[in-house]
Amino acid sequence: MKQPKILFLVVIALLSLTLVSCISGSARLAKGWAGTAVHEGIIYVGTADGRVVTINSSTENLEWSYSIAPVTAPSSGLACGSTSASTAIYGTPVVDRDIVYIGIYSGQVLALNKLARSQNLTFPQQRYGEWEWDCPIDNAKSNAIVADLLVSEDALYVSSSNGRVYSLDKEFGDLNWESKILDEKHGNLWTSPVIQGDTLYVSTFDGHIYALSLETGELLDWFFESEAGFDSSPVIDGDTIFLGSFDRYLYAIKIGSDVPMWKFPEEKPAGNWFWASPIVNEGIVYAGCLDGKVYAIEAKTGGKLWEFDAGNPIVSSPVLMDNLLIVTNESGTVYIFDLSAELEDEAVPLKAISIGADVRSSFCAQEGLVYIRGEDNWIYVVDIDRGGVSWKVPLTIEE
Amino acid sequence: MIEVWHLIIGNPVLNVLIALSHILAGEFGLAIIALTIIVRLISWPLTKRQLNSSKALQDMQPKIQELQKKYGKNKQKLQQEMTKLYKEAGINPLGCLWPMLIQFPIWIALYQAIMRALATTPENLLGLAHRLYSWDMVNQAIPLISKFLWLDLGQPDPYWILAIIVGGTMWVQQKMTQAPAVDPGQQSTSRMMLLMMPLMFGFLTLMFPSGLALYWAVSNIIGIITQYFFTGGWGYLKFRSPFQSTQ
Repeated sequence: MKQPKILFLVVIALLSLTLVSCISGSARLAKGWAGTAVHEGIIYVGTADGRVVTINSSTENLEWSYSIAPVTAPSSGLACGSTSASTAIYGTPVVDRDIVYIGIYSGQVLALNKLARSQNLTFPQQRYGEWEWDCPIDNAKSNAIVADLLVSEDALYVSSSNGRVYSLDKEFGDLNWESKILDEKHGNLWTSPVIQGDTLYVSTFDGHIYALSLETGELLDWFFESEAGFDSSPVIDGDTIFLGSFDRYLYAIKIGSDVPMWKFPEEKPAGNWFWASPIVNEGIVYAGCLDGKVYAIEAKTGGKLWEFDAGNPIVSSPVLMDNLLIVTNESGTVYIFDLSAELEDEAVPLKAISIGADVRSSFCAQEGLVYIRGEDNWIYVVDIDRGGVSWKVPLTIEE
Repeated sequence: MIEVWHLIIGNPVLNVLIALSHILAGEFGLAIIALTIIVRLISWPLTKRQLNSSKALQDMQPKIQELQKKYGKNKQKLQQEMTKLYKEAGINPLGCLWPMLIQFPIWIALYQAIMRALATTPENLLGLAHRLYSWDMVNQAIPLISKFLWLDLGQPDPYWILAIIVGGTMWVQQKMTQAPAVDPGQQSTSRMMLLMMPLMFGFLTLMFPSGLALYWAVSNIIGIITQYFFTGGWGYLKFRSPFQSTQ
């Protein structure tokens, strides 16, 4: 009787392994965390169910919505099967005149015309300048677009998971150039490029910052190499690049130099990664960390000016509005700091407002209002003066 | 309960695996192989006991054959005598399965560690940040390279090579350690298990990330080598059951 018993145990154990794989397999689905953009009183945002939505901030009503075709998610583990899933959106829409640009996880860049979408015409309406560009799959590497798009006067710049940066014509979506940054072995390109002068700077997960010619995409002579990978998109102030690394430091790198100007914290690393891009204002770098702290650092020296413990990881980049620094933590508390006041070592926020939903996406602020997409797929508009959520609207379509 | 699992097994396996990857020039595949060796070293006392048992069973074969001749027609009596003989020698003929069963939590933790460490989605990568220790070598190794030889360690092997290796090595290892059953009824179960387990694992290899299958393959190969040198040969791989000769 022992053999069947053991056989039974083996089968049970294998089934449990299968179950675990199936559960964690479904957890591997990309869900997205699209950020908000506000332009001329209209809120632009990607939703968790794969739509680009616009909301009129005065009437709080939906202006128009565009649904992106769902994708087939691959199976993982025994008996899980493949499923149809909404396209994930991680990027923040970029509005340039009448066109809204957005990169999506299934590898497309969409240029949506506000007028054509509000009339619900078939996409793409080329006479309105609409187009869709398919990022190629390179050596079986995913073409997913995770990083925010970068729009300049002349072109649109796209980082793709396939390790390449593309420059597209804004009007027609034609390819201007492409530049291979990472080979198929060295991970994804999930960080956004940044422009300084006639150069495009890109940070990579394998610990490099590359400089590319804005015109041709050619790799320029200077690059920076670090032992650990860079997890955040670079930010440039003057001739200095600021960005976070997987080694739990924030780096300041002078363009042209091959040693960091400084790294923060000075002594031991922070409690976790600097995942969100920092912001720089009047010689001070403001950086949120996954250890739950906000740091204000002197841009020239890397010296800490003050810190604040938000209690929960900070995933979204801080935002500046006039003299106010706005920070949200992952559990959805919005902290407002008055930068005109003298902040001590342990800073105290002017206000702390809870929206009651998790926050991972980037957010924006205008005229005393903060526009946040919660992980519950609602838009929350926080009124700083009133110190609370002014109004909120669901982004999910009711069945 | 889940947090306890992560604290005790999940996170240590994940962090050790990533640290090993950093030590081994960022090769995650080599890290999995190194982890397999470490697991086999930790479970050595158990393996040793099983090997002793297996060797003793082999040494006992003349006595078994003697009993076979003596009680060949009385199956019940033969069964009783065999059980008595095993008991006197302190042997469990199915002991070889226990080390495998004990490894199940490691398999589950390894599966989770592979999927987490390779962080195929932004959510996975962000989630990984909360499971890493503050060791420099762990944070410097992120993100990991999923390519190893012809494999993408986060995906099943599309060429079936690993499935054949896993199934084949498992069959050899089992064949080496599994003593021939005495009772004809048990013999059929035993034969079924001998085939079913390698087939099942070969099939699972086609479904699971090849990183986990790599662990199975290396673990089996280590098992075969250990068994070979410990018992001084191929064990039951060459041995013919007394039943087969008499039937």
